[in-house]
Amino acid sequence: MIDTAAQSPAFVAGPTVVVTNASKWFGQKVAVSDISCSFGPGVTGLLGPNGAGKTTLLRMLTGLIGPSEGSVSVLDSDLREDPSGYRQVGLVPEEDAVYGGMTARQFIAYGSKLSGNPDPGAAAQRALAEVEMLDAADRQIGGFSKGMRQRTKVAAALANDPSILILDEPLNGTDPVQRAKLIGLFRQLGATGRTVIVSSHVLQEVERMTDRVLAMVDGKLAAAGDISAIRKAMTDIPYRVFIEVDDPRKLGSALVGEDVIDGITIDGGGLHAEAHDLAQLGTLLPRLSRDLDVRLTTFRPEDESLESVFRYLVRGRK
Amino acid sequence: MTAALTITGVTVRQVLGIKRLVGFGLLSLFPAFIFMVSSGNQSGNALLESFIGIGVGLLYFVAVPVVTLILSASALGDERRDQTLSFIALRPIRRSAIAASKLTAAVTAAFVFTGAGALAMSVAYGIRSSDWNYVIPMLASAAVATIVYAAVFVPLGYLSERSTLIGLAYVFIWEGAIVSAIGTLANTSPWRIGFTAFLALAPEEAQFVEADLGIADPRLGPTLITVAVFIALSLVVTTWILRKRDLV
Repeated sequence: MIDTAAQSPAFVAGPTVVVTNASKWFGQKVAVSDISCSFGPGVTGLLGPNGAGKTTLLRMLTGLIGPSEGSVSVLDSDLREDPSGYRQVGLVPEEDAVYGGMTARQFIAYGSKLSGNPDPGAAAQRALAEVEMLDAADRQIGGFSKGMRQRTKVAAALANDPSILILDEPLNGTDPVQRAKLIGLFRQLGATGRTVIVSSHVLQEVERMTDRVLAMVDGKLAAAGDISAIRKAMTDIPYRVFIEVDDPRKLGSALVGEDVIDGITIDGGGLHAEAHDLAQLGTLLPRLSRDLDVRLTTFRPEDESLESVFRYLVRGRK
Repeated sequence: MTAALTITGVTVRQVLGIKRLVGFGLLSLFPAFIFMVSSGNQSGNALLESFIGIGVGLLYFVAVPVVTLILSASALGDERRDQTLSFIALRPIRRSAIAASKLTAAVTAAFVFTGAGALAMSVAYGIRSSDWNYVIPMLASAAVATIVYAAVFVPLGYLSERSTLIGLAYVFIWEGAIVSAIGTLANTSPWRIGFTAFLALAPEEAQFVEADLGIADPRLGPTLITVAVFIALSLVVTTWILRKRDLV
C-alpha cells in the first residue's frame, strides 16, 4: 500500500477507504472496470459525466453493492461482511431515500437510533441545526422541496458524527445559498480529519470543495490527483494561454516561429497561444517582449480549470 | 435488539396506512358478518358446519392469505422499491436482525387483521351457539397461517415486484386447486397448516372437516415444528439476500 501510494496519485497515505482492482458489471454492462484507488482524511471529489460509474463506485464503497471482482475495504474491514463498521460511515445517496410519512426529526432520529446512538433526539437536533433545517424539523418529509430533502439526507448522514462521509450528488436541488453553506460544511468536515468523498457532475461545485479529484469516464479511472497536476500530466494536449499585449500581431508573428508554440489566434487586444511547454513559454515571452518592444499586461492559462481538464479527459476517452 | 425492535415498530406503522386499515379491516371482518347473516335459523351441527365452512372459505382461503401476502410483500419489498433500504441496511446491524425484524413486523401487522377476523368469527359463533371453545383455536390457527404466509412472502416481496400477483396465483391456483386435488401437498398450503392448529385445539365435534382439507396429522406438535421450519428458512433466505445480493 505504501509503495502504491508513493507511485500513483490515485492513492493517499494513511487511507481509510481502499479500492483494489474493483470491477462491477450488471449482466453484459460493465459499470466499473478495474479501479484501484484510496481515500483518506479531507475532501475528495469524484467526477464524471452521467453514466461514468460514480454512483456504482460509491455504492461499492458503502457495501450497498458488492464488487464483481476485486475488493473494497473501509477502515480495514469489508462492510458487507462486518456491518459494525457502519458506525463510522454516513451516506447521502443520490436517490430520494427518505420516508415521506416521517418528519425530518423522526427520520434523522430513526437513523441515529439504528446506528446505536444513545441519544438520537439530541443527535437529530444537532444535525438539523447544522443544515439549517430546524424550522422545518417537524414537518413531514413528503411535503419537502428537493433541496430540503437533500439537506435532510445530509443531516441524517451527519447525525452520528461519522469519520467517513460518502455523498452522492449532495447538492442536487439546493439553492445557491444553501449550496454555498453545504460546500462550506463539507470543507470544514474534511479539514477536521474526516474522509469526505463527494461525487458530482457539476465541476464548479467540486472545484470549490477540494483540489483532489478522481475523474471517472466510462467506468474507468481517467485521472487522479490535484487539478493542476492532472493537467500537467496531460502532455499530449497543448496548454492554452491568453496573452494580453499592446501589439498582438507583432508578438504573434514572432511566436509562430518558436518550437514551443503549436498555434496562435489573434483576438482583439490579445492572443491565444497553444504551447506544449508552459515553463518554456514563460521564459520566452519576457525575452520576446523586450526584443520586440511590446508591453505584456496579462498572461493567463485558459485550461487549468477543472472543467477544461475534465473536458480533455472525456474527449480523450471517447 | 433495540435497533431490531425499532425497525419492527417503524415497519408496522409504514405498512398499516389508513386505506389498508379500512380495507383489510372490512375484508377480515366480512366472514363474521356473513356468518351472522346466514346462520340466523341454524343450530347444533348445522351451525358448526356453517361456522367452519365460512371460516375456511372466506377467512382462511381469502382474507388471511390476501391480507398477509400484501403486507408481508411490503415489509421489505417496499424498502427496496422506495429506495430506502440503504437507510436501514447501512447501519451497524446484523442482516439477520433486519430479516427477523421485517418478518416480525409483517406478522404483527397482518395479525392485526387476521386475528381480528378470527376473533370476530369465533365470537359470532359464540353468540349464536353459546359455545366459546372456538376462540383460542381460531386465534391460534390465524396466527399460524399468518406466520407461515409471512415467512414465504417477506423474502419473495423483496425478490420480485410481482410478488402480490405471484402470491395470489399461489393461493388460488396452487392452494385452491392443486393442493385440494392432491391432499399429500397439504404442508405446502399455509392456511391448511394454520387450520391444523385449529383442529388440534378445537373440540371433537369439529374434526369432521379433517379429511376434506387433506389434513393428515392434526396435532399441535408437528404443526409447531412446521411453523419453526418455515420461520428458519425465511430468516436464512432473507439474511442471505441482504448479505449477498446488491441492495439496490
